[in-house]
Amino acid sequence: MIAGRLLRLVVVLLVVTFLSYALLSLLPGDTVTQILGPGASEEARAQLRSELGLDDPLLVRYGVWLGDLVTGDFGTSFVSRLPVAEELAARLPVTIELLVAAQLVALGLAVPMGITAARNAGRWIDQTLTTLSFALLSTPVFVSGVLLILVFAVKWQLLPATGWTPISLDLGWNITSVVLPALTLAFAQVAVYARLLRTDLIATLQEDYITLARARGLSPRRILWRHALRPSAITLITAIGLNLGALIGGAVIVETLFGLPGIGRLIVDSIFSRDYLTVQGGVVLISAGYVLINFAVDLVYAAVDPRIRRA
Amino acid sequence: MRRHHTRRQFTTVLAVSWIVLVILAAITADLLPLPAYDETLTGPASEGPTLAHPLGTDALGRDVASRVAYGARVSLLVGIGAVLLGLAIGAPLGILAGYRRKLTDAVIMAVNDIALAFPALVFALAVVAFAGASLRNVLIVLGVLGVPAWTRLIRGTTMAFSRREFVLAARLLGARDRRILVREILPNVAVPAASYAFIGMAVVIVAEGSLAFLGLSVQAPTPTWGGLINEGRPMLDTAPHITLAPSVVMFLTVLSFNLVGDRLRARTDVRQSGLEPVRQAPPAAAPSVHVVRQDTLLQVEEMRTHFETERGLVRAVDGVSFTLERGKTLAIVGESGSGKSMLIRSILGLLPGSGVIRSGSVYLDGENLTSYTPQEMRQVLGPRMGTVFQDPMTALNPVRTIGAQVTEPLRVHLGLDRKQARAEAIRLLAQVGLPDPVRALKRYPHELSGGMRQRVTIAMALSCDPDVLFADEPTTALDVTIQDQVLRLIHRLRQERHLAVVLVSHDLAVVRQWADEVIVMYAGKVVERGATAEIFSRTRMPYTEALLQAVPKLGDPPHHRLRVITGRPPDLAALPPGCAFQPRCPYAQERCALEAPPLEEDCACWYPLNVRESHGR
Repeated sequence: MIAGRLLRLVVVLLVVTFLSYALLSLLPGDTVTQILGPGASEEARAQLRSELGLDDPLLVRYGVWLGDLVTGDFGTSFVSRLPVAEELAARLPVTIELLVAAQLVALGLAVPMGITAARNAGRWIDQTLTTLSFALLSTPVFVSGVLLILVFAVKWQLLPATGWTPISLDLGWNITSVVLPALTLAFAQVAVYARLLRTDLIATLQEDYITLARARGLSPRRILWRHALRPSAITLITAIGLNLGALIGGAVIVETLFGLPGIGRLIVDSIFSRDYLTVQGGVVLISAGYVLINFAVDLVYAAVDPRIRRA
Repeated sequence: MRRHHTRRQFTTVLAVSWIVLVILAAITADLLPLPAYDETLTGPASEGPTLAHPLGTDALGRDVASRVAYGARVSLLVGIGAVLLGLAIGAPLGILAGYRRKLTDAVIMAVNDIALAFPALVFALAVVAFAGASLRNVLIVLGVLGVPAWTRLIRGTTMAFSRREFVLAARLLGARDRRILVREILPNVAVPAASYAFIGMAVVIVAEGSLAFLGLSVQAPTPTWGGLINEGRPMLDTAPHITLAPSVVMFLTVLSFNLVGDRLRARTDVRQSGLEPVRQAPPAAAPSVHVVRQDTLLQVEEMRTHFETERGLVRAVDGVSFTLERGKTLAIVGESGSGKSMLIRSILGLLPGSGVIRSGSVYLDGENLTSYTPQEMRQVLGPRMGTVFQDPMTALNPVRTIGAQVTEPLRVHLGLDRKQARAEAIRLLAQVGLPDPVRALKRYPHELSGGMRQRVTIAMALSCDPDVLFADEPTTALDVTIQDQVLRLIHRLRQERHLAVVLVSHDLAVVRQWADEVIVMYAGKVVERGATAEIFSRTRMPYTEALLQAVPKLGDPPHHRLRVITGRPPDLAALPPGCAFQPRCPYAQERCALEAPPLEEDCACWYPLNVRESHGR
């Protein structure tokens, strides 16, 4: 079973990297023109093409590129003249910290919200929380980010609007600089998680084994925490993995909005500077990371749900 | 509940109105009495809302209201276009996968899963950046990125419907695939698809906004919502309205699309948690007169459980009374839907929360349980009343070990420590005949067979040494040989522990063998009761007779036609006048349809069978 999963993982990774490579290579926006400028002679162009290996068939180019990729060579940027891998490595910790902080904030808010709503299903507090979730869900990241900046940075001047202090430099400042971006990124996720947990808990609470737990005279609190939450948590764990895609998309915006030196911002900057190797490297890194994390989620899932462990 | 309903409708109307308003603004932007979106210095720059400029002006003195209205064009065009594109590609794929299944399905879904593995927005960014930021490119990219979600949704609904009876029937009648798809499946897929179209609009509008915010959607001077928000950002401290106006409009639009989509979908939303204690109806004006018998173990008086539903009041249990002594087994029989299980749940106070009204009294050793608080009731459930349900597959928590579940009541109610509880659990599991109880403690429910699981639930029900055991169809979900073992077990434990057992069953063979007394229920009411032997040998109520006749007998000749009770079980929300069984009763006479027969001499029938002449009414 594990072997099958690993095989699947490898196939998905191959397809994902190939598509990233192929799509970005086939699109207009010619690299040669970018490097040499529009006025270059045809010979110079042809020479560069063969130097870069652009005349080879796509599959061959992909093979070479993938081979380099596996050894950690993402190529050298034509724009910054720096190895792409180094750039990505420098930016990765920022994005990871942002994503982890956002997930923690989202879960920290969503779990109590979901539980409260499910326990009081149908009552005013549930309806209020549902409305709140809906509002959060309908607020685009850049809107909530701008609003948070307006309130916390501009009006109250409690937190910085932009900028980043690395964790190695100063932990306190690092936390201050991550609060607003993480909160912004967390908002939409809060709604997703809270709604999911609520629906799932309500369904679980209608199971026979919950009624029977009540028939054994156990208190609602005990039933909720010991009996209902764990089966419901399983769905939540899957959602956390799947949501990572949306979260990474949001991270691009949040990093741009708050001026964080992360992968997302690097991709956006590289797009504008036509630095296509860096964009490609970033997209591949993110896609592969996403696939790998979902693979890990599958494994965690099996650990939490004994029914799957043996299957 | 009704008020809640109208409020929902009200918000839906608001949402639809807002969507219509935005669409109208986008269409008529040229005709509205607003300056052109690119006309500079229409007023003072960065000025807040005024009469001439309802949403103020931006840094170049352009009218914000006009720019927002024109921005709606891009958002809506991309939204509608991308949704239609996603639908146009995703729907055929989804229908194909869901209808053909097998290899087609496997291939389509494998590709779909891989497609879902891409972080969509990052990919959209890259593609738009390289292909060129234009309305067409943004629309195509967002549309294509929406395909996997569409395929998955349509496949799911198609699959659900292609198994339904009417589709199978059409297939058996030789209808061709295309005809089935067009006539039977498409109309049913339409509703979820419409719902997702609205949610998809919200998703695409946000995605387009994100691209525009990064400067990668339709290029200036054409205004876009995301672009407007980005433009206003540097002036956030001095002229926040430039950012806030498009932000609020965008938020309301996305919210409206989400709301409408959600309303279309959420027709089957469950809204009851089942953790709340039951509401006891206030005693009626004239409290029913009954004597509380101190010498009886369990006494139930005039138990009624009614549900408020959209179709009206459902009388699931309607005035049931009985008494039960220690060491006896009382069987409650009837068809499904007759109120048997609901009666048990009413007695135990385990009904879903809102919309349920319970009245009547339950006395245990003369104490009125219906006056107990939820906390007091929890001291009774477990230590004094144990419960076993029908399906052992769903009766145990799938993610907790048997040990954790069996020891829990011992620790909560009897205050045993971990070690003592474990020893007691092993003893209990051995008592119910579970082989190797020590190992069983570490197992999960799915690792045990149905019969073994039911033994575990019985052990749990008896763990705190209750006086009464409620067994709601304890063997219905089990194999016949296991059934007998479980019933023997319950009987043996009854003898050993001097229990009273309330056995709910529709299996009259079981009832005849194990029960001392029988209550026959129909449409929430007791229609006949008496000692088991009496009920079987001298049946009076025609319904009981029909139930008895429906049991296949060993003496039946081979290929003998199975007798069934004619007609359907009654609709509890719309009972016929008079006797509820009358429409199905072969003996019914005029009076039966006019007046409901009272329960007299343990039988509710105007024309009972097998009555001695002296009793003739």
